[in-house]
Amino acid sequence: MLDSCTQVLAGGDCQVTTASNGAQGLKLVAEIQPDLIFLDLKMPGLSGLEVLEKIRAQHPLMVVIVITGYATVTSAIEAMKKGAFDFLPKPFTPEELRLIARRGLEHGRLVQQTVALRREKEMLRKNFAAIVSHELKSPLGALQQNLYGLVAELEDKLSKEQQERFGRLQSRLEDLLKLIHSWLRVFTVDINKLKETFQPISVADVLAKAVETVQQHAIRKAIEIQSSVVEPLPRIQGDEGSLTEVVVNLLNNAVKYSFPNGSIRLRAEAQGPQVLVSVTDTGVGIAKEDLPHLFQDFARGHSQPEGVSGCGLGLAISRRIVEVHGGSITVESAPGKGSTFTICLPVAQAAPESSPTPERKV
Amino acid sequence: MSEPKRLLMIDDDPDFVAGIKAILVKAKYEVDVAYNPKDGFQALKSKPYDLLLLDVMMGRGAEGIMIARKLGKDPKLRELPVLIITGIREQMAFLFPGQAVHPHFVPVDELVEKPVAPKLLLEKVEALLKTAEMRKAKSK
Repeated sequence: MLDSCTQVLAGGDCQVTTASNGAQGLKLVAEIQPDLIFLDLKMPGLSGLEVLEKIRAQHPLMVVIVITGYATVTSAIEAMKKGAFDFLPKPFTPEELRLIARRGLEHGRLVQQTVALRREKEMLRKNFAAIVSHELKSPLGALQQNLYGLVAELEDKLSKEQQERFGRLQSRLEDLLKLIHSWLRVFTVDINKLKETFQPISVADVLAKAVETVQQHAIRKAIEIQSSVVEPLPRIQGDEGSLTEVVVNLLNNAVKYSFPNGSIRLRAEAQGPQVLVSVTDTGVGIAKEDLPHLFQDFARGHSQPEGVSGCGLGLAISRRIVEVHGGSITVESAPGKGSTFTICLPVAQAAPESSPTPERKV
Repeated sequence: MSEPKRLLMIDDDPDFVAGIKAILVKAKYEVDVAYNPKDGFQALKSKPYDLLLLDVMMGRGAEGIMIARKLGKDPKLRELPVLIITGIREQMAFLFPGQAVHPHFVPVDELVEKPVAPKLLLEKVEALLKTAEMRKAKSK
């Protein structure tokens, strides 16, 4: 049996090593760390299932295919439950063996890749703050500081045009620094921490602040922001700064994707136990295929109007902030007609929810 | 005209220092600079200053904080107002878990983020100097 299998598998890029019982097999597994293991369930001494358990305990990523006797579906299922990748019932043809070996190896490669990617992602997340702040933020900050300094020193020597150029340089740098800040937010800051400082806030205040921030930007494109608050509007429990950031974000997008001379409607109203805030524009709209990915990191639509730039993090951050508030954010859009983004936020409860798990005394 | 106020800045990034210094000199302050905590402390001991501008993230970590703590223990330097200039707010929160983002190192201090716009910088510096002066007048 071993010999014939070896013959089938050997050659090509496979190297086959065999063991004739469980104990010997386990020793070999530790020694050569194979990419794929075929394990007969019926063996003298240590049973196949025991061997499987031991392999999985020591090498959780190892791909094991069990070979079962005829009509022993139960033990095959048992083995699968214990972490076998697949099973091959006896008797099998050489073609079946090759096929399952190929699938097993492919699976092993994918598992390894996934693990490596996960590790990389974690490393990136952990080191991102340090890398970004030191390697990017410090030099940019020093640059900006020197522009500030130069403008102060040269105040009376610069022509109007030169002053404007300095101003543009400063605003470009500021945009870059802001961008870095949002990267840091996404990758390193635990947004759940916001909850610790939640307090009752007025949605009308949030709207007013957001409009104030975006107004200049809108005026430059001759876009009118029509803001309406349907009173009475109950307070919500939240963080004013970050909710304002969300509304600013939505308004900025609306301005960005609107045609000049257009208008944007910002509206807040209570609806049952929720406060709804919606931002409606009559801009370019969003293609149907882009909608499902809209709130994901780095998601940007495929059909971008000319001259529009961004990194696709704004909506992802907004979604996280809204979700931390126990709310949701949704979008409706028709290409060529415009989009409506709606935030639902739960109204603040009169009494706080039952306090988290009371201390247990033993 | 009264004597110009003397400021000391401790920060390990010479380019950043140049940008800050330009603004302060333009506003008629006298500015000395130290590029590491050791020289900075030396300078503080050798000359009287009206205000310290301090970067907290220097060298291998928060070396600036060590200076702030040392100042707090020195009976003479304890009164010196400190304007903390930091590269990143989140890191501050990280350094002082459980504390507000604005940790008070010394009785009179303020915190600004890099880069800092001239208007804000001058406002903070003036406010700190004023508070320090008022306190001095009171104690007399």
